Order: sequence, then structure tokens, then C-alpha cells
Amino acid sequence: MPLAFLAVLLPTLYWDQPIRSADALRKAGIERLYVPAGQEGAWSRKGFAATAFDRARAVQAVAPKVEYHMDVASATRVPWVDANGWRFEREPGRAFFCDAPVGSAVLAAAEAFAYGADAAIRAAPQDVAPFAQMLTFLGGIDRPRLPVRANLGVIDDGSETMAEALNLLARHNLLFHVIKTADPKYDLNIRRVPEGANPDEFAMQVRRDLTDEKRLLRIFGSNVVLVRLTADRARARVHLLNYGKAPVKGLRVRVLGAYTHGKLFAHGLPHTALEDYTLQDGVAEFTIPELGIYAVVDLTVSGGAY
Amino acid sequence: MHRRTFLQMAAAAPAALAAPDRKLPKYRVVSHYPAAAQPGMPGPYPGQVASLHAEKCIDQATEKPDPAVVSEMLARGMRALTGDTDVRDAWARFITPADVVGIKVNCSGAPGIMSSPVVVAEIVRNLIAVGVKPGGIWIYERFQDQLDSVHYERYLPEGVHIWAAETERGSSGSYDPATYVEAWFFDEEDTRSHLIRLVGSRFTKIINVPNMKDHGAAGVTGCLKNIAYGNFSNVARSHSGTVTNTYSFIGTLALVEPLRSRTVLQVMDGLRGVWHGGPFSPNRKFRFYPKRMLVGTDPVAIDRLLLDIVDDKRKAERAVSVWDRSTKYLGKPDDFVKDPNVNAFVREPGHIEYAGGLGLGVYQLDQIKVTSIEV
Repeated sequence: MPLAFLAVLLPTLYWDQPIRSADALRKAGIERLYVPAGQEGAWSRKGFAATAFDRARAVQAVAPKVEYHMDVASATRVPWVDANGWRFEREPGRAFFCDAPVGSAVLAAAEAFAYGADAAIRAAPQDVAPFAQMLTFLGGIDRPRLPVRANLGVIDDGSETMAEALNLLARHNLLFHVIKTADPKYDLNIRRVPEGANPDEFAMQVRRDLTDEKRLLRIFGSNVVLVRLTADRARARVHLLNYGKAPVKGLRVRVLGAYTHGKLFAHGLPHTALEDYTLQDGVAEFTIPELGIYAVVDLTVSGGAY
Repeated sequence: MHRRTFLQMAAAAPAALAAPDRKLPKYRVVSHYPAAAQPGMPGPYPGQVASLHAEKCIDQATEKPDPAVVSEMLARGMRALTGDTDVRDAWARFITPADVVGIKVNCSGAPGIMSSPVVVAEIVRNLIAVGVKPGGIWIYERFQDQLDSVHYERYLPEGVHIWAAETERGSSGSYDPATYVEAWFFDEEDTRSHLIRLVGSRFTKIINVPNMKDHGAAGVTGCLKNIAYGNFSNVARSHSGTVTNTYSFIGTLALVEPLRSRTVLQVMDGLRGVWHGGPFSPNRKFRFYPKRMLVGTDPVAIDRLLLDIVDDKRKAERAVSVWDRSTKYLGKPDDFVKDPNVNAFVREPGHIEYAGGLGLGVYQLDQIKVTSIEV
């Protein structure tokens, strides 16, 4: 299995508003900031853990969102999702900057956390309070160093074609890991994307070659939820990111592995628990009764600790 | 039978029945429910249909049914089907006081057409007459907004449940995660269609109350489609572009236990019908008034009759036959709902014969015994 470990970072608010906004930030619960170079001293004197962040040198992340193209005929009416997971996978260790318009900063924070990315997120002032609430939620989740699990090893040639292929693989929840050389530990190694290939059709061909049965993680009941999986022999963590505009009710999750127990941590829904948990033929399945923006499911084998 | 064996058999059946020139999707049926000794479909009266016609059952101008005439139609239909002289005896063949009865209505065409509240109320009255408590009766449908638009509560006794699986479109919480059909049609990510949870967990019997409707994808929509697509999640994925998998998916879904075993009675409400543009009915000019009711236990036999009812009407209106597979009639969905000579899909009326081949009923007309009654 792949040995890459997920970093354990919390995303950080990037704040370039005047210093007079300090009280509002403190009231919202923000303690740590990325700020433009030269402003860290002033913010530190106001009691914040402020670090200079050069947004121009960071990898630019998109504002996460979903778009429903009702006028476009498509095979499965799949909405368009703008997500950053594939970017985080592609450039691990880099710093990312996301200029998040109103309503998107909370999801941006969740996806950065899910992928262990060092992300500076520029939130709109009205989003600071929910952003801080998300940080509180994320801060309350333990952060074990678990290896990334993926079915696909992808040798990234750095091309735009490959970028779009990675985007579509992620969009279809085909778990991949970017690697330098082919590794037999993966079910499939992708060495290149054929010239001129339609990236969506390419992703579907990969899915056919892999087969759904072999997929480490699948979901049923939404086409706007993207997933990530980390795991070792004793436990697994499933990250679920909802890019839709409404909560998803009754999301069914299938995880390959003899996991006997599961525990749900759902943002905004502290009292929800997994339902209809089954383990059969080495496959664990469970239902998340309601998924807001983000949830984590920790799975263990019998006797293991969360 | 071992569960694994059951799954294999269920998955193998459609392939064995496929026409040589038709490539069918691979289905995987997952259910832990055993079949009843005598499944409700086709039930004790395979190939038998009581066909009632009453000129006064509905006022065409107002589209209001006459409850007294509807009551008489249903009573005579049940007696004709069973041979009983007392209508309560007829109902008691299917329903006991201890049963929890789901009445699967069809509201997809509401308010233009739906399982008439008058017909549903008459069914409920008969259930109560044989001893079922109002609380043991559930009027149900998949979509809350469609169900709410009919206002069944205005016609039913207090205590009867009126329930929809999807309070919000796409919500999956009311479906059974352990009972589903898996198939990969058009590269959709979610390849499962789950059965409504109440079918297995609560209902002991189901009465199916479809309408007489044309259907842009399936050719017609009657007993089979209402009980199949109307009880499972995530079924619209079976259509894409001009292609639909209704040919094999409808029968495959209807065959799933416990749906097949517990659906014990079919009451097709044909007081009004839709001859084009179905399953919806925004345009009244495509509604017609068969003034009929078809009663039986065999959904295939009833739907076989429905095929001719709808197609005969289409012929009378000079509309292309539901059987026509020519691409020259294919057009945009917007045109389909306006023009009876435009198809949105290559229609699949063969789904009824396919379901017959699965054992859900009798398809051949010369093997169907129709008892015609004028009320």
C-alpha cells in the first residue's frame, strides 16, 4: 500500500482587512492568521498568532462550489464541481491560497483539512464566524498520521491534460495518488493520458478497468460529495466533502476492509451517528443520516482504538 | 435457499431472457427477504382481469369522479375477479385485519392525473370494512411535493397515513440500504436503486393503484412501472439522451422481494388517462376519459390491455404508435410534451412482455381472460 502520509495541518484564515477588524475576529473565535508581509507585527500586538503569507507565491486554489448546468444535456445530469483535492494531491507540501467568495470559505477550510494542505483562505467578513466554527470543529478531531489509500497510482507529467484528468478522477471519486514511478501496490498505474482524450471519458475508462468492486471507497445517494481515504491496518478515516447547496440525507458509504466499528464526526450535526452498519465479505457499509458540509468517519477493526 | 444463491439467480434471470439482438445491462439484486409461497405478483389470478366501464364514473367537463359509481365499479370488479358474491369476502382473500397495507398511488401527473382520491378512498373504505385499522393503512408515493398536491387527506378517515419517501428530492434516508438493484447504465456514480424501507419493514401487503398513461420512455406506464419505479430510489438514471433501460429495469425492480410477494392487488384507475406526454399531464388536450377500471392480481395482463388502450387512442388521434422505434420521430423533450408525433426516447413498451418472461404475469392476449362489465 502507498506509504505517503497525510499531513495534519489546520487551514488558516488569510486576512488583509484593516487592523480595526481585530475585535470582530476575536469575537468570532479566530486566533491564528496569515497576513500580508509587513502586517504580522501589528496583528501580533493585537494578540493573534500572525504569520506573513505571500499569496503570489502560493498555488492558487479555486473557490469550491457546485454548478448545475441544467441546459446542458449530459448522460447522468452530473453537476459541475469545482474542487481542490486533486490540486492538493498533485502538489503536496506546497502552500495554497484560496480567495473564497461569500459562502465558500467554510468548505474551502474543510477540503484543505481533508487533504492535509497548508492553505491560506481569504474569507469574506460575513463568513468569518462560520469559518471559525469550522476551525473549532476541525481542531476537535484528532489527527493521526495515516497513509493515504488509493486504487490508482498516477505518474504526473505536469501537463494540462493530466491536470484535467486528475480533476475528473477526483470528481468521480476514483482515489488516486501521484507517484514518481509505477508501483504494483496500486490496482492500476496510470502513466499517461492519451493525446486528445476526453478527460471524462478517460476517467470512465479507468473506472471500467479498475471495476467498482475493487474501489476502496464508494458512496451512494449523492453526486456532489467527494471523498478521501486514509488508513493503516487497524483503522481508516473517511473524509466526506459535500459541495452541494443542501445537506445530503441518507448517504450510503462502502469501504473495502474488515472494519467492525465506525464513529461519525459531522460538522454542524454533533448528535448524528452512523446507521445501518454492516460488515460482510470484507466490506463495511454504513449510512450517514445527514451530511452538512463535511464529516469524518473513523473506522476500526475489532479491538482497535479510534 | 442460501442468500448468495438467491442473488445469483436474480442476477442471471434477465440475461437468460434477453432477445439476441438486445444487449441488456447487468443487474445485481440484493435482498435478504424470501419470496412468499405464492408471491402477490402474478398472484392467485394470473392472466385474469376484471374490466369495468361506467359512462357516469367521471364528469369529463369537471373531471370529478362520482363516488357512488366508483364504489360500484370496484365492488363488481372484486367480485368478478374472485367469484365471491359478498364483496367483503373478496377483499378478505387478500387482506386480513392484522395487515399493514401500503397503497401505492401515482401522483407524477398531478394535478392533471393521479390515482384518484375517490378511488383510493373507496379502497380504504373496503380495507376498513374487512377490519384493517386506519392506522394500518399507508397511502404512499416517492415524492412529497407530488403527493401533497393531491390532498388525499380530504378524502380519507383520520388515522390513515399519507407518506412520501423523499421529503426533499434525492434524499435517501427512507430507502432500505440492504435491499437494492445495482446496475451501471450511463456512467452514473451512484449505481444503486434502493427499495422504500417501509415495504420491507412495515407493510405486509401492498395495493397498486396506477393510472392509464402514455409514457415517453416506457411506452405506457401502468401497474409494472408504478410498482417498480415508484418504489425505488435513483431510477431516473436509467434514461439518457434518447435511450432508456426501462425495457429490462422495470421488470427487474418489480421482481425484487419483498415487493413482489407483498403486492397482492392491482387496481388500475382509468377514469381518466393520458394518451401523450406522459407520465406528466400539463396539457389537458392529451388527457382522455376511458372511464374504466381494471382489477386483478396480474400486473402484466393488465398492462398488456393498457398497451392497446393507449395505442388505440393514439391511432385515433393520428399519433405515432408507442411501438414505433424509428429515430425520425425523436425530438427534444420540450417538443415531446407538445407534439404527439415527437418522441423523447425510443420507447420501450416491450418492458411488459419482458416482465412476463420474468414470471410476473401473462402477456399473450389470447391467454388473458378479461371479464368485461358495464356498470
